[in-house]
Amino acid sequence: MGEMEQLRKEAESLKDEITAARKAVQDLTLQDHVAGTAVVGRVQLKTRKTLRGHLAKIYAMHWGTDSKLCVSASQDGKLIVWDSYSTNKVHAIPLKSSWVMTCSYAPSGNMVACGGLDNMCSIYNLKGKDGNVKVMRELAAHTGYLSCCRFLSDTEIITSSGDCTCLLWDIETGTEKTVFAGHLGDCMSLAVSPDFNTFISGACDFTAKLWDIREGQCRQTFGGHESDINAIGFFPNGNAVITGSDDASCKLYDLRSDQELITYQDSSIMCGVTSIAPSLSGRLILAGYDDFNCNIWDSLKAERVGVLSGHDNRVSCIGVTPDGMACCTGSWDSFLKIWN
Amino acid sequence: MDVYCSNNVLQARRTVEQLRLETELQRIKISAAAEQIVQYCQEHRRADPLLTGIAASSNPFKDKKTCVLL
Repeated sequence: MGEMEQLRKEAESLKDEITAARKAVQDLTLQDHVAGTAVVGRVQLKTRKTLRGHLAKIYAMHWGTDSKLCVSASQDGKLIVWDSYSTNKVHAIPLKSSWVMTCSYAPSGNMVACGGLDNMCSIYNLKGKDGNVKVMRELAAHTGYLSCCRFLSDTEIITSSGDCTCLLWDIETGTEKTVFAGHLGDCMSLAVSPDFNTFISGACDFTAKLWDIREGQCRQTFGGHESDINAIGFFPNGNAVITGSDDASCKLYDLRSDQELITYQDSSIMCGVTSIAPSLSGRLILAGYDDFNCNIWDSLKAERVGVLSGHDNRVSCIGVTPDGMACCTGSWDSFLKIWN
Repeated sequence: MDVYCSNNVLQARRTVEQLRLETELQRIKISAAAEQIVQYCQEHRRADPLLTGIAASSNPFKDKKTCVLL
């Protein structure tokens, strides 16, 4: 077993090299840099709309690019597309499998996708000729549950799975183009960079990975969390990543200095983070928790500046509209709430 | 050597390859990284509705009360 021992030693030595390289650029901390900046004032958002209609736990929601329509997925076996301004249901799509865990709205607004314990990502065409919403493709290849999916365009989608991999799919042919393997635990969440060249994944191996979509390679790996990463998102400038974990904390990792800059935690918070989203400027980070609340953090000062209370069960998903006008929370209490 | 052993070796080789790739990354100083993040927040502060607040008249989620002149 000479080679195994050799490889093990080399891996340890490379890890030490990375740790040293990260330390070498620590000329300052983010806290030092913002020492003179004031914490933002208390943020008090009100529920403006409650979207009622699901009959069971809501597991996911995603805003359309128009900042008005959004899609939600519930284990009542339905995907609902909502007009959030009027609260009207634009589409109520019955699913073959009710064990849905994720949903996504295509940037074009032409399609939605979902998946879950069926291990598949189902694509629905919202703009079919006869007006009916039908399954367009069933993307099957993962050997574990579908935890998250995000469209790159009408022809490509990225999925993350409990089988520890992420896949890039060609929707037209229904086949996998690229496998992103490397995580040692279930992939729980993914987010695509603003320039669509990279994506990040958070997993049950407590790490987040940055992937080059075209090269199919993992470029960077971020550790530090002490439990599963359930939620992940890009900071709006695309140069940093925010994560939410079962260890009750959120973290900001900077891509260019390749390390964690700040942790968002409070001794009074002891439950897991389920979902995360930045506000338009990135100054606020909204995170949904198992304790039925959503906390709003000042991203630079790491202080809690607001709470969204109103749900009667776990907040499972959160999303800020692309135009930054509102935040939507989805919960196991079967309701979605729009806040601003 | 049975299949289980050679799979482990393959896995270990891939891990080392990936780590080699990650060591080669060019990292910038945290002072520069932090500056960019802070600057982005500052530049977009006024355009962030959740931060600045939204006037009732321009809030698409707030029901507008209509005035009727009798």
